[in-house]
Amino acid sequence: MKIALFSDIHANLPALEAMFTDLNKRQVDAIYCLGDLVGYNIWPNEVIELIRSQKIPVLAGNHDAKVGVLEAKGAIEALGKNYAYHLINDVNRKYLRDLPAHIRLAYKTADEKFDVLMVHGSTRRNDEYVLVDTPEEDVLAMMTESNASILCVAHSHKPYHRVLKSAAANYLHVINTGSVGKPKDGNPQGCYVLLELTATTSMRDPETLNVDFVRFDYDVQAAANAVENSPLPTEFADMLRKAY
Amino acid sequence: MKIALFSDIHANLPALEAFFEDLEHRQVDAVYCLGDLVGYNIWPNEVIDEIRKRGIPTIAGNYDFGIGRSSDDCGCAYKTDEEKAMGKISIAYTNEAVKDDQRAYLRTLPAHIRLEFQLNDDKMDVLLVHGSPRKVNEYLFEDREEKSMIRIMEQAGASVMCFGHTHKPYHRILSVNDEDGGLRYLHAINIGSIGKPKDGDPRGGYVILTLNPDSSMREKESITVEFVRFEYDVEKAAKAVEDSPLPNGYADMLRNG
Repeated sequence: MKIALFSDIHANLPALEAMFTDLNKRQVDAIYCLGDLVGYNIWPNEVIELIRSQKIPVLAGNHDAKVGVLEAKGAIEALGKNYAYHLINDVNRKYLRDLPAHIRLAYKTADEKFDVLMVHGSTRRNDEYVLVDTPEEDVLAMMTESNASILCVAHSHKPYHRVLKSAAANYLHVINTGSVGKPKDGNPQGCYVLLELTATTSMRDPETLNVDFVRFDYDVQAAANAVENSPLPTEFADMLRKAY
Repeated sequence: MKIALFSDIHANLPALEAFFEDLEHRQVDAVYCLGDLVGYNIWPNEVIDEIRKRGIPTIAGNYDFGIGRSSDDCGCAYKTDEEKAMGKISIAYTNEAVKDDQRAYLRTLPAHIRLEFQLNDDKMDVLLVHGSPRKVNEYLFEDREEKSMIRIMEQAGASVMCFGHTHKPYHRILSVNDEDGGLRYLHAINIGSIGKPKDGDPRGGYVILTLNPDSSMREKESITVEFVRFEYDVEKAAKAVEDSPLPNGYADMLRNG
């Protein structure tokens, strides 16, 4: 079974469209979105509607959750960085407010149980980073607490796959999906993940889970120009061009 | 948010196609399949392919679990000798028909999917299982004792539990005491069957769950459940059974629901 995981589109429609073009060439059995559909660019409605029309299960990222919080405080300003949220129409604001925080896939094999847990930030908060160098004991504590054997996170925009050995001598996996529309790892291409489980997948053997990071080209210039031609801070455009 | 839930297709391609057509007219935000894609009819591979190509998140039913492992046991609770004999023919036929790639897909399906919501400072877990959280082939009928149902849901940490397997749809609201003296409402939802209904109505059935983001588990209306029934070419599905090595009894079951 091949599962595609993507996140952190951040209202970047050219990047999302390029991702779907790439994804359509691969045979995947399920697709999940780990949140942050909005913020930083001018196409939040188009991004939400494209994902929604494909009925893809989506988690709430911190930016998605922030829209409701900003709204509750009163009107969202049309200038500066909040312009990115101001653009979102009422129907789509409601969609963002309804999203689950986590999605969990519980696997049972003949002699083993393992859970794939998808979160946006960490298992505890949607705005906490789980990075490639987050201390191993902290990550293990978080995974034990939330009963996750394969933890899929987003939020940092820096993709990685990390294998940790648990107290029970099992191999646990932490996978960061990177970012479709706002990478920060120095590579301006969009990024998503393909996770492959087979009949032999077991937490006793780390080689039995395949994790591929797919990078794809998209029209970075179009996305950066859109920022520059809007009330958004122009630095957002530079960040897209240089991937920081 | 509107979520469509369907299950128990049982290799009935005409019913699955009619379901997808019906679904197109409704605006849902996500779709999940609660298992039992195969068994009892002639289109197991086609049903798997249609669900796969749409990338629909799917969990394993008891029949999928058996076929995924080339087992001759589908975990079905047949009562009479006649049912057992018919069941043997169906699983042997399905094992023969299902191709390697499709079998590998069935084998790697998860057992449960859990959606963990955190709305309005309240937690609500929507748990999707095939039979029960404890066993893929446990039947949770509508008349199950309330205490037992609540215990199953609390043990599994489910505020909303959706399941299939019995092919008899229902929505049951159960109330439990909250820590602060109020009541919380749990929802147990059987989503019925796409391709082998057993409630006397031969039409296919599925569920649309609507979550109300302004609500909480302290209100009964935190979710609404709609049971959708749709027509499909029952005769075509029944005829396919009769023209195959499968027992004709399965055709009558489709005609009579």
